[in-house]
Amino acid sequence: MKKTGYLYDERFLLHETSSWHPEAPERLKAIHEGIQKDGLLEHLIPIKACRADMRWIETVHSKDYINRFNDACISHVRTFDCQDNQMCDMSFEIALLAVGGILKAAEMIMKGEIDNAFCAVRPPGHHAERSAAMGFCYFNNVAIAARYFQIEWGIQRVAIVDFDVHHGNGTQHIFEEDPTVFYYSIHEHPSFAYPGTGRDFDTGIGKGLGFTKNSPVLPGQGDDTYQLYLKRDMIPAIGQFEPEVIIVSTGFDGHMDDDMSGIRLTTECFSWIMEQIVALAEKHTKGRLLSVLEGGYALHRLGELAKNHVTILLNGGPDVR
Amino acid sequence: MFVSKSMAIKVITVDPEETILAAREKMKNHLIRHLPVVDEQNRLIGIVTDRDIRSAMPSIVLQDYNSREERNKLAMIKVKDVMTREVVTVRPSHTIEDVLLLIQSKRVGTLPVVDDDGHVKGIIGVQDLLRAFINVLGIEEPGTLLCVLVEDKLGTMKRIVDAITEEGISFGSILVARYWDKGKRAVFPYLLTQNVSRVKKKLKGLGFTLLNPLDWYIDQLPTDGR
Repeated sequence: MKKTGYLYDERFLLHETSSWHPEAPERLKAIHEGIQKDGLLEHLIPIKACRADMRWIETVHSKDYINRFNDACISHVRTFDCQDNQMCDMSFEIALLAVGGILKAAEMIMKGEIDNAFCAVRPPGHHAERSAAMGFCYFNNVAIAARYFQIEWGIQRVAIVDFDVHHGNGTQHIFEEDPTVFYYSIHEHPSFAYPGTGRDFDTGIGKGLGFTKNSPVLPGQGDDTYQLYLKRDMIPAIGQFEPEVIIVSTGFDGHMDDDMSGIRLTTECFSWIMEQIVALAEKHTKGRLLSVLEGGYALHRLGELAKNHVTILLNGGPDVR
Repeated sequence: MFVSKSMAIKVITVDPEETILAAREKMKNHLIRHLPVVDEQNRLIGIVTDRDIRSAMPSIVLQDYNSREERNKLAMIKVKDVMTREVVTVRPSHTIEDVLLLIQSKRVGTLPVVDDDGHVKGIIGVQDLLRAFINVLGIEEPGTLLCVLVEDKLGTMKRIVDAITEEGISFGSILVARYWDKGKRAVFPYLLTQNVSRVKKKLKGLGFTLLNPLDWYIDQLPTDGR
């Protein structure tokens, strides 16, 4: 059994969107309950959130943007940068706590205190651009974590695997010119789904050419297409890149019961996907894997999906129980 | 959407008395394939394309390609000898829809833009049209595409637009297209949000059918010019 860290903090529930908003605190409650219910908690190493040092945020975001976000919260602004981004006075602090907790998990992985971790955080991050909030996201959690691994621990090559049903435009744009961070995403085709980026011909820019890969999936497709594309695209690409750490943007919104997309994945396929990623970590990164929550809005499914996700991390492979 | 807003204003032109070798150099230097041919008053008298020039040149597989005689002959050919005199043109006041239809029916790729007296004012090509339509589709902004199947009936669009507006969602674009069932239309609102769950439920509640955009096959639509 692996040593698996679990980042959860009730303060993440304090980031309020609005009464009708899908990115709601109930998402995290459902995830936490799912993990608690099966007695999984006692096997996990708890990680508490802590406020991230601003210098880490600045490795990805512009100072101007960080100040704008802080000012907006202080002045009780409720909609930030776009209609999708609803927030409360606490949102800036909660976003900082989420990043801090994720960096704590990264530190524990590098110190060998844990092998891998699941970070159940709000707000999510992969749509956040260097200087703009988008799609419920404020700080790009996984991008900051990648920079932390590189700067603080001298990691040369970080792979980010994003299976949220929406393309991580922020993550792609932040690293598209950087050959030291490989970004792979599988998502609903951008002609039909938010945010309209992530075409299969986006493969990086300049020095970063060949270090971005996208597998867009047409609406209505499900398990078969995902399995085909992940085998065809993700597994060889990550193998060739030989990362030292894998960061996962974990989104459960491609589930067939989730009406945020037209993708129709089963619960079982989410397990299959995670097994493939864990196997890649076993092969290339000595098991070092940091999973960070992005989307997923079907409240009645999130518990089981999170439970399976964490079980695979604990087993370092398929759930054989 | 007028041609005047989408055309290139800096036009590289060529004199009818110039040699085709000089014209070829001009195309190479400016990375273009069409040169409007103009008189001293900048009035259009023809157009020459890289294809016109290539057709006038001997094939490189011919043995005497490099002979002095061949080269001298080539240096004598002038733009006016190979240019097309019947040029398809548009006015700045034409719309880009006009240009789209013209390009399709006349099978040309680039059109000089002229005023009433034939003076060259600009040039517009497939690339400029693409840019204009990317802008119209709104697809450079993040958003989500819906496909709503509706009765082809007055007031239907208003109900859809109202329902979406009530949710505080902005439109990137909205396209209406034919559907293979008579009396029905496919409406494609491109919404500048990730947050479509609630508006989808609302539209269904209003009795609209939401289609998977993939179920709308443009190829299967009747082509009887309705």
